[in-house]
Amino acid sequence: MFIKKREIILTINKIIFSSLDIREVYQTMGKELLKVIDFDRMSVTLISENNNLYETFVLSKDYGYTDLKEGVLYPMEGSLMKRVVQFREPVLVDDTSKGRFLTDAVLFKENIRSRLGFPLDYKGRIIGSVNFGSKRKDYYTRKHIDFLSQIAPQLAMAIENTRLFNKIKEAEKKYRTVIENSPDIIFECMKDGNFSLMSPSVEGITGYPLHEFYDNRGYGLALCHPEDQERVHHEILQVLQGVNRNLMNLEFRIIHKQGQIVWLSLEILPIIQENTIIGIEGFCRNITERKRLEELKDILIRDVTHELKTPVAKIEMALDMFQRSVLAGNKGMPERGYQINKILRNNIRRLKNIIKNILDISKLESGTESLKLSDISLVELVKTSVNELKDTADQKENILLYQIPSDIPIIKADRDKILHLITHLVDNAIKFTERGKINISARKLPDTVELTIEDTGRGLDEGVQKRVFEKFYKEIPSAYGSGIGLAICKNIVQMHKGNIWVESEGKGKGSRFKFILPIKS
Amino acid sequence: MKELLIVEDDSEMQEFYKDMLQGEQFTVTLASNADDGLKKIKENTYDMVILDILMEGVTGDRLFALLRKDSRYRNVPVIMASVLEEKAYRCFQALGNISFLEKPFNKERLLSEITKRLDNSK
Repeated sequence: MFIKKREIILTINKIIFSSLDIREVYQTMGKELLKVIDFDRMSVTLISENNNLYETFVLSKDYGYTDLKEGVLYPMEGSLMKRVVQFREPVLVDDTSKGRFLTDAVLFKENIRSRLGFPLDYKGRIIGSVNFGSKRKDYYTRKHIDFLSQIAPQLAMAIENTRLFNKIKEAEKKYRTVIENSPDIIFECMKDGNFSLMSPSVEGITGYPLHEFYDNRGYGLALCHPEDQERVHHEILQVLQGVNRNLMNLEFRIIHKQGQIVWLSLEILPIIQENTIIGIEGFCRNITERKRLEELKDILIRDVTHELKTPVAKIEMALDMFQRSVLAGNKGMPERGYQINKILRNNIRRLKNIIKNILDISKLESGTESLKLSDISLVELVKTSVNELKDTADQKENILLYQIPSDIPIIKADRDKILHLITHLVDNAIKFTERGKINISARKLPDTVELTIEDTGRGLDEGVQKRVFEKFYKEIPSAYGSGIGLAICKNIVQMHKGNIWVESEGKGKGSRFKFILPIKS
Repeated sequence: MKELLIVEDDSEMQEFYKDMLQGEQFTVTLASNADDGLKKIKENTYDMVILDILMEGVTGDRLFALLRKDSRYRNVPVIMASVLEEKAYRCFQALGNISFLEKPFNKERLLSEITKRLDNSK
């Protein structure tokens, strides 16, 4: 018996350190205890935190049927458990048929005749009890109690350790989930440059596998853009050396495995242990998209500024040219005069055009502009535009054609706006076509009419096709034009509940601007 | 006579340059885009290059960066002309031997800028 007891204690000690799965702990415990205490039913009950309920883990020799469900919380009142806790003493039931406890009746029905409940004391607190049941009456005696009093502290420790470990594991799991699903890079880095934590999102952001960050010291810094490396290193050192208490929103570039630049924003805090900074923790957010938008905004402002200032600058320069010519006794006149006149007219027209476009688009976008609907004939509007633009097309040696089939119905629309729309699209086609052909065609679809302006000019690649209707967008920033014309067209079509788009096989392959308008408004 | 190359894609601006530099102590060559400009720079030796910034295709600032990377043209004096403000292009100053000329400019301003840059790079 003595040797057995020592063996069991050793085994249970082993359980404490080897297994942290609570069920496995109970099972091993049951198996070991069976060597020294005979039972038909063994259970471990644990008291819930508020002391009113207990949870049972049943372990029968035969795992036969029982009403006591594992993992269910039972009320303490009237149970053997309550007595064990109250008196901090083992409780014996010699015969369940004469039972004092509510649970005795349940167990009697399941053929358990005698019971022993032993308190599990962990550091002076009763955490629950270990219970044995036998089919024989009067089975458990003082002998069993003596034995259990030696082994119970070990059992209590094993159970409590497992419980605590599982709680920590649960908390850690939650924390892991946050880290593993974070779109930002969450990390901890020790003073020697080794990462003690790195979230998997780093793979998507940098293109490099997670393990490389753990395997290589200072790996994050090595990915920095050469121009930013020194600055980032310096700022991190300031925190590590305690010069700065933290680092907020440090924006820098790294080079992705595929070669592209990724913009990151970094925040770090020192990890302090016993008043010493041992490392840093922080997170890094991918701000590439924001940076790209900022850059686009800057380009937009630059292009609009350029477009507004250029004609004004040229008007001033033409006037300066005129003045010098007058001072020089009109040398070179009248040729010089014609030239100056032409430049002035050109640029004043350009300026007026920009102003008109800006006013038009702001009126359209404000939503205050209403449609003046009337019956309109697309054939008539196409003819009007073609007449207006024939000379411009001729100047660039372009052939301007149109074919409108007779079945194109009269539609309800705003005449001035649709005329503006067609004229702008045709004018645009001429602008980007040299010695080519511009063809205007139409067809009737079930509920709409479709107009196509096709040219053999410059064409647009896919990226440009997507952006061409954006306000102020110009493929070539220095090109003549406000970059608003097509945005106005889009607005006009949308006001009519239609649709506008562009098709092109690519650069140099011409383009087809198409729009559809509903037949019934 | 000093040899000047002007890279400018706007034909009206080209007229202004021609008019202002006519009768001065310079030989003026015009290029209407950066590619044409680079070709001419490779074929001839210029005492100075005047660059427009926003041009179709390769922009003036990119052409300037290309020149500074090439040991043959690293020291060619450059004037960048633009309606945009100087501050947007200040970063290029580090690459050396460059001035900015904001459009519009008159004849006096252009001549003084050219002279100053030529004197500074002696």
